[in-house]
Amino acid sequence: MEETVRKIMEPILSVENLSVHFSDKPVLQDVSLSLWPGEITVIVGPSGSGKSTLLRAVNRLNELYPHCRTSGSVRLRIHGESGDVYRGFMALSELRQRVGMVFQTPAVFPFSIQKNLTLPLQVYLGVNGSTLTERMEEILRDVGLWEEVKDRLRDDATTLSGGQQQRLCIARMLALKPAVLLLDEPTASLDFKSAARIEKLLLNLKRRYGILAVSHSLAQTRRIADRVCVLREGRIVQELDHEHLRDPDAFQTIIDVAF
Amino acid sequence: MFACNGNVETFVLFRLSDKSEKWIEWILLIATCISAVAIIAILSLLVAFCLPLFTLGRIRGVLSSQWQPSGGYFGILPMCAGSLALSLLALSIAFPAAMGICTLLHVLARGVFNRFLLATVRFMTGIPTVVYGFVSVFLLVPPMREWLGAGTGFSLLTAAFTLSLLILPTIVLVLHARLEQIDPILRLASEALGLTPIQQMRHVLFPVASRGMVVAAVLGMGRAIGDTLISLMVAGNAPQFPVSLYHSIRTLTAHVALVVATDSRSMAYQSVFAAGLGLFLVTGLITLFIRKSGKAGREVRREKGF
Repeated sequence: MEETVRKIMEPILSVENLSVHFSDKPVLQDVSLSLWPGEITVIVGPSGSGKSTLLRAVNRLNELYPHCRTSGSVRLRIHGESGDVYRGFMALSELRQRVGMVFQTPAVFPFSIQKNLTLPLQVYLGVNGSTLTERMEEILRDVGLWEEVKDRLRDDATTLSGGQQQRLCIARMLALKPAVLLLDEPTASLDFKSAARIEKLLLNLKRRYGILAVSHSLAQTRRIADRVCVLREGRIVQELDHEHLRDPDAFQTIIDVAF
Repeated sequence: MFACNGNVETFVLFRLSDKSEKWIEWILLIATCISAVAIIAILSLLVAFCLPLFTLGRIRGVLSSQWQPSGGYFGILPMCAGSLALSLLALSIAFPAAMGICTLLHVLARGVFNRFLLATVRFMTGIPTVVYGFVSVFLLVPPMREWLGAGTGFSLLTAAFTLSLLILPTIVLVLHARLEQIDPILRLASEALGLTPIQQMRHVLFPVASRGMVVAAVLGMGRAIGDTLISLMVAGNAPQFPVSLYHSIRTLTAHVALVVATDSRSMAYQSVFAAGLGLFLVTGLITLFIRKSGKAGREVRREKGF
């Protein structure tokens, strides 16, 4: 059934033969993967295997670092149109609005909670006044943060707990109405309870967005992933789907071999 | 730390350095005391010299708007206004320029150009003030005289341009140091949100560094008020209120230099001490302000390593 759906639907993101070099040192080699809406694809692999580089290649964040060279293609499909983001499909700032990203450490701006959310809305979409307040409430409800922060919107965002800060970062990203979410170990710096909340949130969000995540935890991967790509030394060495994820022992064995 | 690694030699060294550390403590304490005594002595001296102005009721004469020693007028208010106008004008030229340079340094320029720019700014801090003044007299004053067609070219505007060059590196380096302390993840996050480099500076990095910006501005202002040579060389030294950008003015510092060089007993000489006391207090207040805002800033700002 799932396969049938996939055949009908085109992937929202397809990475083809992607290679990334930093100062002539290969970090990713010939990586190909596809992402469908309604699915969470998780990338796992030992440290230094290129997981974060792969995420950053999708929103072209690698270009921020010196001596980075990227080849291959990253095709994105937005509103029925598709194109290669490395061949001028859309402007860089639009790409980053369409492909949101959340980092391992919650990167809230040291402004008020409100300003963290309204900043992207005002800068890009020119939303102001009551529409701005409505949008803010809607997004905060989306990430389950509204009840916790509604009375302290003017407080500094850094006073929130780690889990709340990370949900605020997710909210800030959702404010720009992205199509794809990139999550770089979003729960790595959080306690068990906060991590569980984020996982629940991701399972809710996957209905509306294509999600590509990196995870350090195999247990978490099993809980949230629809598909898993195992990355080693810059190459995808194994792709796993629901079948493999169902049986924990079999999954562990495959991972052990792959690592 | 030395004792933990179990190395006997380093352990002995550590003991030795413990003794020499006491010496260092003493030397530092003595140096601190000398500096403190010097500052207190300067303040007391200034107050002592100014005292006759108060006791003999001459302070009103000093705080008046006309300076004409031959006619018995010793007012320093035009010079106070001149100092204020010149330093504010220089700051209003240098500060936006410094923000632009910091934007280049942090989000726009890369590699060699970035290093070159920073090296140039650092080099500028080492250029003696007299060089700025001298170059300005030959390169800036004539075009100002010809293009603006007003006066001699020795004017408030000419001095402000020259002074802004002098205070520019101070402002750039203070602001740059503050921006460097900002957690790189904020830059990465704003980049990932799709903000352009200019938007990142405007909406994220400058607001995060807002206290650093205030400190940089105040420090630049302090430098501008305290500078003597540039105003002495290019501002024209006419003891009048700064009513126009193209007119000559005289600053407090230049006034002190001019009067001390020519006179030593008269009322004019005493008024110089009032000018000195005023400058001392302004500089002191600026330092106090910076220390206070620095302390308050530490608690809320997100910096590297937090």
